[in-house]
Amino acid sequence: MSDPSGAAVASESSESEQGGAEAGSAARKKADESNADEANADESNANDGVATGQVSETTVEGNETPGEGGDSTATASTDAPTDRERRREVATDRWLGIAGAALALVGLGVLVRQSSLLLAGAVGVGYAVYARAGDAPTPTLSVTRSVSDEAPAPGDEVRVTVRAVNVGETALPDLRLSDGVPPGLAVVDGPARVATALRPGTAVTFEYTVRAARGDHEWEPLTAITRDAAGARERSTALDAPTSIACTPELTAGGDLPLRGLTTVNHGRVPTDVGGAGVEFHATREYRRGDPLKRIDWNRRARTGELSTVELREERAATVVLLVDARESAYVAADPDAETAVEASVAAAGQAFSALLDGGDRVGIAALSPLDCWLPPGSGTVHAARGRETLATDPALAPTPSDGRFYRSLWLRRFRRRLPVDAQVLFFTPLVDDTAATLARRIDAHGHLVTVLSPDPTTTETAGQRLTTFERRQRLRSLRSAGIRAVEWGDDSFPVAVAAATRRWSR
Amino acid sequence: MRPLAVAGVLAVAVGLLAALDRGIAAAISPTSAVVTLLGVLGLVQGVRYANARRDRRRLPTDPGEPERRAPAAVPGSDLDERIARVASAAPGSYRDRRDLRDRVREVAVDAVTRDRNCSAAAAAAAVDDGTWTDDPAAAAFFDSRSTYPLRIRLSAGIRGRSNYWYGLRAAVDEIGRIQGGAA
Repeated sequence: MSDPSGAAVASESSESEQGGAEAGSAARKKADESNADEANADESNANDGVATGQVSETTVEGNETPGEGGDSTATASTDAPTDRERRREVATDRWLGIAGAALALVGLGVLVRQSSLLLAGAVGVGYAVYARAGDAPTPTLSVTRSVSDEAPAPGDEVRVTVRAVNVGETALPDLRLSDGVPPGLAVVDGPARVATALRPGTAVTFEYTVRAARGDHEWEPLTAITRDAAGARERSTALDAPTSIACTPELTAGGDLPLRGLTTVNHGRVPTDVGGAGVEFHATREYRRGDPLKRIDWNRRARTGELSTVELREERAATVVLLVDARESAYVAADPDAETAVEASVAAAGQAFSALLDGGDRVGIAALSPLDCWLPPGSGTVHAARGRETLATDPALAPTPSDGRFYRSLWLRRFRRRLPVDAQVLFFTPLVDDTAATLARRIDAHGHLVTVLSPDPTTTETAGQRLTTFERRQRLRSLRSAGIRAVEWGDDSFPVAVAAATRRWSR
Repeated sequence: MRPLAVAGVLAVAVGLLAALDRGIAAAISPTSAVVTLLGVLGLVQGVRYANARRDRRRLPTDPGEPERRAPAAVPGSDLDERIARVASAAPGSYRDRRDLRDRVREVAVDAVTRDRNCSAAAAAAAVDDGTWTDDPAAAAFFDSRSTYPLRIRLSAGIRGRSNYWYGLRAAVDEIGRIQGGAA
């Protein structure tokens, strides 16, 4: 059922003060464009939409369910009021001083013996009483949030529809809803908020679009700000409507990194200094009985008459652990809106993970983070899927920093206990503090050869930023002089930087 | 304030009674001076109450910016804040200044070591006695005996900044020049 009077209230209230109101009208304007989508789903909504737009207000009849978006998934029931948590109640001070002004008018009226002034003062008294009469209502809303795709690919646009029904007994003369968009997602279309008024039984719907990014994203509670009719008191309430999306990037192999000479006994592709079967020449030695005929150096036999055997460089598999720095200090970027170094590290780790698995090496994943993250080295398709899952959605590698303190020595002790003896470490870190460099050195000193791969998040605009850049360069240099391989990449892609660096390295 | 509140309640009660019973009103029958006084009192108190609005900070609930992704920190922005804190011309925060200077010095020594291909001790000596640079402000930043050039001291005085701030910037610029040349 359409409800034109309710819609009028909504537009009235949205014109009153503040940014939230502007947001509401913007959403309304946008709504007219996509009314056609709604028409199929809900006739009454479409009729109403002409007046109210996408932020549509409808009277709920019985058990009517939200109709928009055929592929959307409802995450909360329409009838039951959503769990709420009262946050804060304050006086807005909008009418502060009105009683004083009224009294001053009355005083002036008495002083100059003018009854008209006295009367004007009485009007002020009326306002003062009006301001004190009501209290901000606690909203009893049933909030439904639905997303167009629960498992989008990175970069996909996900349409989010939020519908709030006033299932309480009281009218909400001034209601602002601000959605708790996950901090790792950016809204690309439409404000994630609305300002309206809701009588009991009416509903408001608003939509916005987010761009999906790697990770498990959970919506925070929706904030409802209600005011009384006079706008003198304000109450904020959190409404919990759990919704989440999981965005798991496909892993593509890239950055074919030459590993260092710490290998397992299994056959693989890392050339070693051990003579045996292989393709590359290693050494010649005296013939021993039983050496295969094809390995005998016949040229030498012809020249000197002695039998000798050619040894080839054995190629073996390695065990590699990809260690991603995800401490709070690693969540840095050259620009506040750019991708953080953790994102760059995780993307590069994904490429290395695929490339190494394809090459027959055993690969594991760990995070340098307050939260525990450990995928033991392994191989095979199941392991590949597990690795992809870990890199995409592990809480330790979340797109925003995790809470909690990082204890370096505790972490190192646990990491060393888990690390297989023959494992080498690819350490992805932006190197913006000394801890990362120290850890790289200590892990290397314990016999696990370390290669540091560092996305460059530094800029050189201010003195502080330049100093940080110099310090980071110094750290890279001192790591290299300590015999630890280090690659950094900034604007280049990771595989390009690896290819460029590899040319400089000896085995 | 309690006696005042009691007086107020009594006054209102008497007023209401007077409105009901004309006899009481006739008994009070204030003189014109008393009425004027009451008017002045009302005016003064009214203006006083209305003025309370002026310096009250209004703190409405802020829904924040849910549309924006959580901004990432820019490396070095914490350092910039520290530099801004110690940059005020006011003396004090001696330890902060010393810590910051030590940090810059370490980078400067490393840059000079590689640029001149000398030992770290020789580079440290060059940095400490100011011979590592031609820029007098950068030299004065590490060398307590040499003074900042007059131009810097004047502009620091006029803009209300410290010499330290100018010295730090000059030193960082100089390190950038050395590193740029060495790279």
